[in-house]
Formats: sequence, C-alpha cells, structure tokens
Amino acid sequence: MAITLPETDVVVVGLGAAGGVAVLPLTRAGLQVVGLEAGTWMNPGTDYKADEIHNNVRALVTTGNKVAGEVPTVRRSPTETAVQQARHPMMNAVGGTSIHYHAQSWRLNPWDFRVRSATLERYGASYIPEDTTLEDWPVSYADMEPYYDHIEYEVGVSGTAGNLNGQINPAGNIFEGPRSRDYPMPPLRSCDFLDHMLEAGRAVGYHPYHGPAAINSQAYDGRPGCQYHGYCDRGGCHVRAKNSTDVSTIPKAMATGNLEVRDNCNVRRIEADNTGKVTGVTYLRDGEEYFQPARAVLMGCYTYENIRLLLLSRSGFYPNGLGNNRGQVGRHYFGHWDIQGGTLVTALFPFDINIWYGAIAQGVMVDDWADDNFDHGGMGFIGGASLHVYTEKHPIGAAAMGTFGKVERNWGSAWKDFIRVNAGRTQTAYIQTNTFPYTHTYADLDPLVRDPFGDPVLRITNGPKRNEPMAAAHAADKMEAWFRAAGACDIVNTGGGVGPALSTHAHGGTRMGSNPDTSVCDPWGFSFEARNLGVIGGSVMPTAGARNPTQTLQALAWRTAQHLVDDWNSITA
Amino acid sequence: MHHDKPAKPLPATGRISRRQVLGTAAKATTLPLMPLIATSCTTPVQPSELAFSAEARTILDAFVDRIIPADANGPGAIDAGVVFYINNALTNWNSQEKDQLVEGLFQLTRTARQRYDQDFALLSDANKDALLRDMEDGVIAGFPDSSAIFNRLHRLTLEGMFSDPYYGGNQSYAGWDLIGYPGAVMASTPDMQRMGGRLPPLHTSAYGSDYDGD
Repeated sequence: MAITLPETDVVVVGLGAAGGVAVLPLTRAGLQVVGLEAGTWMNPGTDYKADEIHNNVRALVTTGNKVAGEVPTVRRSPTETAVQQARHPMMNAVGGTSIHYHAQSWRLNPWDFRVRSATLERYGASYIPEDTTLEDWPVSYADMEPYYDHIEYEVGVSGTAGNLNGQINPAGNIFEGPRSRDYPMPPLRSCDFLDHMLEAGRAVGYHPYHGPAAINSQAYDGRPGCQYHGYCDRGGCHVRAKNSTDVSTIPKAMATGNLEVRDNCNVRRIEADNTGKVTGVTYLRDGEEYFQPARAVLMGCYTYENIRLLLLSRSGFYPNGLGNNRGQVGRHYFGHWDIQGGTLVTALFPFDINIWYGAIAQGVMVDDWADDNFDHGGMGFIGGASLHVYTEKHPIGAAAMGTFGKVERNWGSAWKDFIRVNAGRTQTAYIQTNTFPYTHTYADLDPLVRDPFGDPVLRITNGPKRNEPMAAAHAADKMEAWFRAAGACDIVNTGGGVGPALSTHAHGGTRMGSNPDTSVCDPWGFSFEARNLGVIGGSVMPTAGARNPTQTLQALAWRTAQHLVDDWNSITA
Repeated sequence: MHHDKPAKPLPATGRISRRQVLGTAAKATTLPLMPLIATSCTTPVQPSELAFSAEARTILDAFVDRIIPADANGPGAIDAGVVFYINNALTNWNSQEKDQLVEGLFQLTRTARQRYDQDFALLSDANKDALLRDMEDGVIAGFPDSSAIFNRLHRLTLEGMFSDPYYGGNQSYAGWDLIGYPGAVMASTPDMQRMGGRLPPLHTSAYGSDYDGD
C-alpha cells in the first residue's frame, strides 16, 4: 500500500534538460514544486574524468541506475521481432542528459515550424514525403522567440547572432530567424583548424560560422569559462562551465525555496481519477511505495520514458494509457537522422590538425544545405542537413580510425606506421538532417521484453524513408566539397545512411498540435484529454530541425511551465 | 554512485622496473608468468585475481605482439603493458567476456598445432600473421566465432595501448607518443590547438602526472 504524502502544487517527473528548466518559472511564480528524479546529484569534482575509458568506452557518466533496465527494443518493420539494445546514453541524475551532451544549443529555423505549409506553397503537394504524418507546429518561430531568449540567458548560451532584429551579421548564421537581442556570451574560442575550415567554407561559397553552445565562453552566472580539455562528449564538466540544468536553472529554482528535489525516485505510474483528471504520481524510493498528490503534473523524462509512462498509466478513464483515448501516444515518434543514422563523411588531411583538445561544441557550422535554405526545385526532396566540424579527439578513437584503404589490415607494423602519421589528421563531420514523422515509424510497448519491475519496455519500429536519405546524401556531398577545399587528401562518404535505431535525439510520440485526433498535446504542451497533465521534452516536437534539439525543447518546457502559471485556475479546476 | 569504483591501490612496496617484469619482451614465449600487477604508481586498478592461466597468457602475449609489434616506430603492445590492461579489464569491467576470449586464445593455438604442429606463440611471425588473418576473416574450420573474438581481442589491445596509463597499459605513454596525443590535461591553451606539426608530449595522466614511465 502506497504511503500518501501531502499534496503539492506541481510534480515534475524527471529533472533533466526539460524538467530542470520548467521548475524555474514555476517556482519563481510561487508554486510549490516537487521534482522527482530517478538518479541523484553528480559531483563534478569526482564523477567527471579526462578519461576516454571512463566516459566513452565504459560510459560511466551516462550509465543510469534506472534507464539501464528499460532500454527500448528496435525493429525495422512490423513483421520483425524487436531486439533490445545493449545500452543507450539516457541518464538518471539531477541534470539528466544535459550533463553529458555536447551542449550545441540552437534555435530552430523559422521554416522548421511550418514545413508542411511552406512546402505546399513553394513546391506543391508532390513534395510532401510519402507516408508522412507531417503537420505544421502549433507555434511559430515568433511565438518561440521570447522563450529561446529566456534559455539563452537563464541557462547560458554563447554564440554570435546572425540576425539581430533583422540585421544580418555574416559572422553568425545568416539563415537564422530574427533574435531580439544578442547572446549573453561571445562564442567559444576558435582554433587553427576551425579558422582553416571557416576560410575553406567561404572559398566554396558557403556561410560558415562558429556554432552556439550552452557552455560558458567566459565567466557567467558565477561559474568559470570552458577549459577546452577535450572530454566534454559523454562526460560532465569538471569546472561546471557546461550549463547542464543541475548547475544552472535547478539551483536558481532551489534558491526560491519552492523546489524540493527528491532523488532516487522511480516513478511507476501517473494516476488519474474517473473524470480524466490527473491526481498525482506513484513512485518507489528505497523499496517503499509513495503516492505524491499534485494539482498538476509535468512529464519531463526522456522521450522514450515519457511515452512509456503514459502507456503504462492505465485507468478506468484511460484504458489504453494516460491521454491515449485517441490512440496517438507513441505515434509520430522518430529518431533524428544524424550521425547515428549512418551519414558519415570522414576526411584525412595531409597535415596534423591538432584537435585533441577543445570540445565537441567548439565548432564551425554550415547551414547552406539545411532546411529550405536552397532551391529544392527538381530535387525530389525537402529539407537538408547542417554540416558541423569540431574539435575534441580521443586517443583510442583516433587509433581505431578507418584507414582509407591504405593498409591491408588494421594491425601489424604497416598499420602502426599509418596511425603514427594519420591518427591526428582526421575529422568526421557531424551531419544532422531535417527529419519528419511517418505512419510506419512509431513507439509502443514491447510484447516480450520487460524491465526489472515486470513492466514492458518501449518498442521502436523504424519504417523505410526516402526523403531523409536523399537530403542527407545531398548534404554529405556538400560536406565532401568543403573538406576538399580545406585540403583533405582522402574522404570516405557513406551517403544518406540507413537511419537511426535508437536516437539520442528522439522526437515525437506525445506530439503537440492543433488537432486532438492527430496529436497528444495541445499547442501549450498540455494533454488534450488530461487537462492538468503537461508534457515537456523532445517527445512533443512535431519535426526535427537540422540541428540538436535541446534548446528548443527547453524553450518549449519554459513556455509550458509559464502557461501553467498563467492559466493555473482553469488548468487545475 | 551508480558504477563500480576501481579497487583501492595496493600500498607501494618499492617500484619494480617494467623491464624487470617483462624482461626482453619481444620473446614472449620465454617469459615466465609474472603476476599481472602493473608497476606504475598511477595504476591503482589492481586485479584481485589473474584472468589467465600461464598458457593463456603466453598466447595472449603473442597475439598482442602481432597486433602492435615493437618496431622502428617504437614500442609495441608488450612493452606498453597492454596485457596488464586486458587482465585488469577481464577481471573487472569486462569479466563477462573473459571465458569466451580465453577459449578463443586456446582455439587459436589448437589451430596452430593442427596447421603447423606448433603452439601459436612459437610460430614464425609470418605464420602467426597468416593464422591471425584467417582468424579475423572467420575462415578457420571449427572456429566459428573467430572473427568476433579477434575483433574483441583487437579492440582490447587498442584500448590497452591508447588508454590512460591508470588502467595498466600505455606504459611510458608509448601509445600516446605513437599517435601524437600529448596527454590528459584539465585545461588546454590556444597554443595546444595550433596547427603546424605535432604537439610536444606532456606525458600526463588524468589521475596524476607523477608517473615518469621508468
């Protein structure tokens, strides 16, 4: 029998990139918030290492205590039996995946919010990809601008404005939407390799710029600037210069006195009454079951667990899962078609590029072949991909490089001589493709595989796509030209790839939209069916931009939380 | 925390030279079985047991020696203590794959006896390499998982050669010197990201820079 706790105003499930942001507007407005987190606090001084074995090989920062038992299964078609993946870098900790992510921090392009209508206007109905469930977002870039601005200042983002109130600055991204003010910090420092790529990019007519990052480029908010030690990827920041929510927005929310962070809580179900209203959350802590009543609940887990918890939370009112009486939970899910999808362009240079140190987010980006930034007439696809070159090379990964067909075997003296010369001379571009939802790509509960509590894990079905690999392959060729202009002597270009299995940029599954028959959440991120249930995180995003999603899902989380504050009486009635 | 911590370091009882332990490393088969406890003060991951019998250790020595041989480009896997790393990995983090990999080593030497009437470690370099190519290609009759086992042993060899010396391999920073990685630091300067030739070695570990590599 669960122990019933005193009621609180709001429960936020998961204190990661999204939940860790949402608590700030809630607590500043005076609402009492309980944050339930499956993990606990990380200690930057002892948990984070300049060590590839620790971070990348054994994944000791990203390995969670709860997520390890609930990694989704994956299949490529509905006739296959889905297979569970060994692990996935979801994370249980206060701060969640914002601790170990690359911290590339973008606004989406204005086009991203209205892909369907913009495509119909410019290219006609034949350009809408087959089998897609693509809809315009229920919000525009202009709607999002103030919330992007909150994130850039409250989380802390460094970068160069490319469009300041309509004024274009060629040092920034000339394709970005207008921003109301500049970033609070200049971009991360450059280096010889990035300057070299910037120059080469301009020489081939692209518009390269230093990408924005949720990393301090200088002291900000009482924390130091980046130390560029080269172990940012899948590691936390030893000096707290990466603005994960455990060092940025969560401490600010705690300072209001209105946030209780409750760690090591394994949330099992969201409870609802027989009118469809959410009443609170049931969770386990130290083997004891608790029921935490709340006036409103915000779901802030990773996309996979947001979907799964809704599907598991069945009741008389919601026999097929919470907020799922129209069967939309799990639909419109998709993984980002990026490097995990197999779009790889790797260059070998005939000189040392010395990118051992730095940070993945210390990079140069090209947007010319992304979004609708070029004329797609006659090309047969929409969207495209961003091209990113960066620093931070780890020694085992460097030695395990592909050898461009230059040695027969990847061992022995000939190979040893090859890596002696070349291990420090390669770069694999990070290519991220605009990705859309499809009828054949979705998430549901696996009929066979269960977590340690006996609950089904999530099952991902990834159907075949035509648009994304065409867009990715087109951009990959542009990347190849950029590398050649920079003096690369050898290039391996895998083309469009096959698409991701699981994704670290998982989108959709609790889509937000204007139509309750095709979306789970309304334009503010609240369930169409359970009116006091909000969903925050990548699971609400209707499409993926050609860039990392975190700043957008953080801006949406802020907006959803602010809406709860503004409409408190009607939402909790 | 949510992961296993490395075992505490054993108290130092006086330093033993790596060369004293390994002897003339190139002749792997003449080595007596030495306790697989690395000698560096920056190597606190100490196995509580040995992953290998003497016989398996001899085969593994010969294997890693062919993957990364000592040659004109510097020390190889034996000199760098890669077997220390692999032993540490297989007694701790990677223990679940120990039995399969050790059985793979024995299958390798059984194949050598069938083909050349000699243990793998006693073959000429050319014959060792011929056998390893067949193992990697998965074409040895009666050795069904040879390719996967080769790939795991190859991967562990690279991890041992190029990981932080804390884990027992990359002794004297032999692996990092080979590829030009200067060393683990807590902060880099703009000068450490300049192009135009190799950076000078720093020989620093993430766990302390006091190890001088003999």
